Amino acid sequence: MNYDLNKLSQEQQKTSTFAGLRKLLQLIAHEKRTLIIALFAILVNSTLNLLGPLIIGHTIDKYVQHKDFTGVLHNAAILLCMFLAALFTSNKQTKLMGGVGQRMLFTLRNSIFNKLQQLPVGFFNQNKAGDLISRVNNDTDKLNQFFSQSLMQFIGNISTMVGAGVFLILINIELGAATLSPAVVILVLTLVLSPWIKRKNALNLKSVGGMSAEIQESLNNFKVIIAFNRRDYFRKRFDIANQENYRTSIGSGLANNVFVPVYGFFASIAQLIVLTFGIYLISTGRFSLGLLVSYLSYSTLFYNPLRQLAALWTNFQLAMAGWDRISQILSLETDLPQLQEGITEQNSALLEFRHVHFGYTEEREILHNICFTLEQGKTYALVGPTGGGKTTTASLIARLYDPSKGLVMLDGKDIRTYSAEERSKKIGFILQEPFLFTGTVKDNILYGNDLYVNHTNEQLEKVIVDANLGSLLAIFEAGLDTEVLSSGDSISLGQKQLIAFMRAVLRNPQILILDEATANIDTITEKLLSDILNKLPATTTRVIIAHRLNTIENADEIFFVNSGEVIRAGSLNDAMDMLLQGKRVS
Amino acid sequence: MQTTDPQKTNKKPPSVFSLLKPYMGLVTLLLLFALLSNGVNLWLPKVIASGIDDYAQKHFVLNDIIKKFSLAVVIVFIFSYLQTIIQTYASERVARDLRSRLSDKISRQSHAFIEQANPAKLLTNLTADVDSIKLFVSQALVSIVSSLFIIIGASILLFTINWRLALAVIAIIPIIGGTFFYVLKNVRALFIKSRGVIDQLNKVINESILGAALIRVINSQQLEYNKFLLANTEAKEYGLRILGFFAGLIPIVTFTANMAGLTILVMGGHFVINGSMTLGSFAAFNSYLSLLIFPIFILGFMSNLIAQASASFTRISTVLDAPDVAQTGTITETLRGDVELKDVSLFYGQKPALKNVSLKVPAGAKIAVIGPTAAGKTQLLYLLTNLINPSSGEVLYDGHNIGAYDSESFHSQVGFVFQDSIIFNMSIRENIAFSDTVTDESLEKAIDTAELRDFIVSLPDHLNTVVSERGSSLSGGQKQRIMLARALAVNPKVLLLDDFTARVDTNTEKKILTNIQKNYPGLTLISVTQKIASVEHYDQIILLMQGEVVARGVHDELMHTSTDYVQIFNSQQSTSNYEQGIAH
Repeated sequence: MNYDLNKLSQEQQKTSTFAGLRKLLQLIAHEKRTLIIALFAILVNSTLNLLGPLIIGHTIDKYVQHKDFTGVLHNAAILLCMFLAALFTSNKQTKLMGGVGQRMLFTLRNSIFNKLQQLPVGFFNQNKAGDLISRVNNDTDKLNQFFSQSLMQFIGNISTMVGAGVFLILINIELGAATLSPAVVILVLTLVLSPWIKRKNALNLKSVGGMSAEIQESLNNFKVIIAFNRRDYFRKRFDIANQENYRTSIGSGLANNVFVPVYGFFASIAQLIVLTFGIYLISTGRFSLGLLVSYLSYSTLFYNPLRQLAALWTNFQLAMAGWDRISQILSLETDLPQLQEGITEQNSALLEFRHVHFGYTEEREILHNICFTLEQGKTYALVGPTGGGKTTTASLIARLYDPSKGLVMLDGKDIRTYSAEERSKKIGFILQEPFLFTGTVKDNILYGNDLYVNHTNEQLEKVIVDANLGSLLAIFEAGLDTEVLSSGDSISLGQKQLIAFMRAVLRNPQILILDEATANIDTITEKLLSDILNKLPATTTRVIIAHRLNTIENADEIFFVNSGEVIRAGSLNDAMDMLLQGKRVS
Repeated sequence: MQTTDPQKTNKKPPSVFSLLKPYMGLVTLLLLFALLSNGVNLWLPKVIASGIDDYAQKHFVLNDIIKKFSLAVVIVFIFSYLQTIIQTYASERVARDLRSRLSDKISRQSHAFIEQANPAKLLTNLTADVDSIKLFVSQALVSIVSSLFIIIGASILLFTINWRLALAVIAIIPIIGGTFFYVLKNVRALFIKSRGVIDQLNKVINESILGAALIRVINSQQLEYNKFLLANTEAKEYGLRILGFFAGLIPIVTFTANMAGLTILVMGGHFVINGSMTLGSFAAFNSYLSLLIFPIFILGFMSNLIAQASASFTRISTVLDAPDVAQTGTITETLRGDVELKDVSLFYGQKPALKNVSLKVPAGAKIAVIGPTAAGKTQLLYLLTNLINPSSGEVLYDGHNIGAYDSESFHSQVGFVFQDSIIFNMSIRENIAFSDTVTDESLEKAIDTAELRDFIVSLPDHLNTVVSERGSSLSGGQKQRIMLARALAVNPKVLLLDDFTARVDTNTEKKILTNIQKNYPGLTLISVTQKIASVEHYDQIILLMQGEVVARGVHDELMHTSTDYVQIFNSQQSTSNYEQGIAH
């Protein structure tokens, strides 16, 4: 399955802003009640604020022009009461809407992370880690900025604008329509320009992703850059990415800012219309001076938020471009679904490959028609030159991938019918590249292991000693409490492999796969590991992948893996012969 | 104005404003355009007021008004359009230059600095932090200056119309300003904390992406999700707390502004009634009030941006202000290849990684360093490449301290094959010819020596095939051999191998070592390894345990003198027959 997001985004047709928004709104479908109350608060609040200019205009016409100061005071008292009420509704409005926004962001982040957890290893191999991290971090941050800062202003401005528009029309439909006509031009202009702006922003986001990937790669491998004296190279490569980012940013920046002066322009035109057309209407006796003052206020109340909205619209477009990239991830489905329970075959081997074919891409098949069986309690070795398919075979045993053709049977059932939980309990896999989480050795050894969660250090040490792992733990300076970092060289690769080894053994799997899991461990410690492996419960099946032959001398059976074929080697000597004759294909 | 000033001047140096110095020309132009367009904007209510008054006094000339107004509107449009263009260029240039400065600084730092500063944090510095400064330049700067201008300008105009009413209206500014000041002070603290939570959130995401394979093998997705949920919930709570402050702030500000409107109505109405003010002026007051409120709002929100930009700039400054690694080395002579460690110790905090290690390697010799995991072997090699500095003692090349060498010249003569596979996301050619001094000839020689020829020929684009990040499309052995070719391509005088044999099969390994001897005669070879069999014939074998040299000598000597060595030898003995078999 194709998980390459950059390729996918080229294939996918552009979704409209509206469609994207609708998908986003589905995330808050359950907040209907809050939304209704919030909308009510917004409505009341806007009405209260907008009645102000009308009452002022009315006061001018009726009392100021007729020199009735008591009337002025009377209306002022009414206004005061309204403003006090608005104090309350405005607070409610912000709190409710903002709350919805925050919860939406929360749900959104959760669903992205959840999706990331559901996707298979193939997804992570086909995408650059740096690009993925940028996608998830930066793009959610764009949405974060929108939800935590812009949304409230957005709602407030829209409600004021709509309210002012309504009042403009209601008071005098002719003048109202004339005042609003520049807004129609703005609307059309916005609709016309939006796709262009969105495209510019998408381009920019892509170059930001590229730049992050560049930085990530260089910084994580900085020691190579120093050792090969390629600091200039880092600078050069970064400068290229930086310059490209600058170029696309200018493009998106100019596109995003185009509205600000245009909006201001039409707002002023509207004022001019109010003034001239209003005075004309007054002269024909269809309007009043007081209302003209109200109208000037309303037109400001209508166009000022519009200008703000232009700026917010940018944030909104940015957020939507981010959302686009995120929803690409969200729309992916795992290609490793759990199948319905099928037939269980009796008297079957623990694990069996039946005519398995596999390739990471459709074009290039790595494994051709592989058949073999693994029996319970035995030790198997996979040997062969590099690039022959050993790791790929192991990955299929652990169902990191599904075969393109053929079956993998675990305990007489198709491996695809097992839940991830059952399968991972049965199969332990020590990966070629050990991965640690930032934390202590204890955190890492117990990672994902429910068995010993509440154990104190003493209890856990006893468990470790009982599992014959005590000698390995002793290698760590501060024992279980030794601090390790996920990245960097806080501990050696060999030590990382030891942690991965302990982690896998304590999980007590039925099949334990070691993919060159001891490659960087010295031979004495390796001897310890092999003793530990021998002392594993008699029912444990071991699958060992190694170059170093001493690690496989105790194997019950040896498979020679080369050019995508798995051949049973009979004895260690046979394996030697094959290795000697086997042409290296890599 | 007094109310907004303290917020800015209270900032501890380095102020984010200092960043703008080199862009004074652009900034001046930017502010000029902003002020011009705003200045004309301020004049508009005056035009309207005179229109209303003219009408009331029955000498209204329509054409006049339209002309004046249209002129003003067009001028505003042109200036504000120019302003947005310059704004974009200025902010992007500041961002680009800042990134360049950062990357330049980072590129000159030591390995230890990068490890300590943490690549993930540096990435944030280069992206999110720079972005918030960009936002400051593109939005905050102009908004603040124009807002202040409008507030001051409108106030002055109000005074010229009616000073008593102006005084009453302007009284709202300190009230609104004070509220903003109080709220934002609290919000800022929350922002900083919530940023920390977001960092935590990102850390969980990063680890879950980098450790994706492990998480799937162990089926610990739920565990990761729970970690994420915890951080995400905390982020949400901070968000809601910040929201709470704003929910208090906005109504108060609106209410205060409304009270000003009410004052205009009552006081202004009174003045109009007793004839001391015209109706047009009364309308102008209303217009100016709405002009006045907006900038105050904006100032408030912008001070948020400033706070964020300042926080970002402080973080960036810690990187920019980090002391440079002193580049004092001047020796550029060609190395003979004598390598010596003199009583070298290395401490990580209290923890010794190497203790009083001394060794001498004459030019052209082959020596092996053998020892258990965590013995300090890799650190030894890092010392030899100047990636880290010893806590005490000296590293000497040809009798000169390693620090005395010009680093460019030094690194072009010392090849290092790292233990972990580091493949860059670029073509195989670039991955191997990683240094720019590599000629085609030495590239070809390196490829042949590393036995990569067959592999490269089998690739679709041969040398130009792009290999992916973390090299996931290559096997472990292929990656190791590419790394070897990379080290050989510089034609080194000294070659350092860190556990090179771990992922390469014995057969290939033998071939490669023979190739090296043939193609790179006179090369000093220091190999950290686990396998005695492949180094038995080396000129010297050093046994390193827990940071100390416990034995040294040629294989036969060690077999008689070091029980530790014999123990390691025996642990490998059972299969060494086979390995020998492969060699011949």
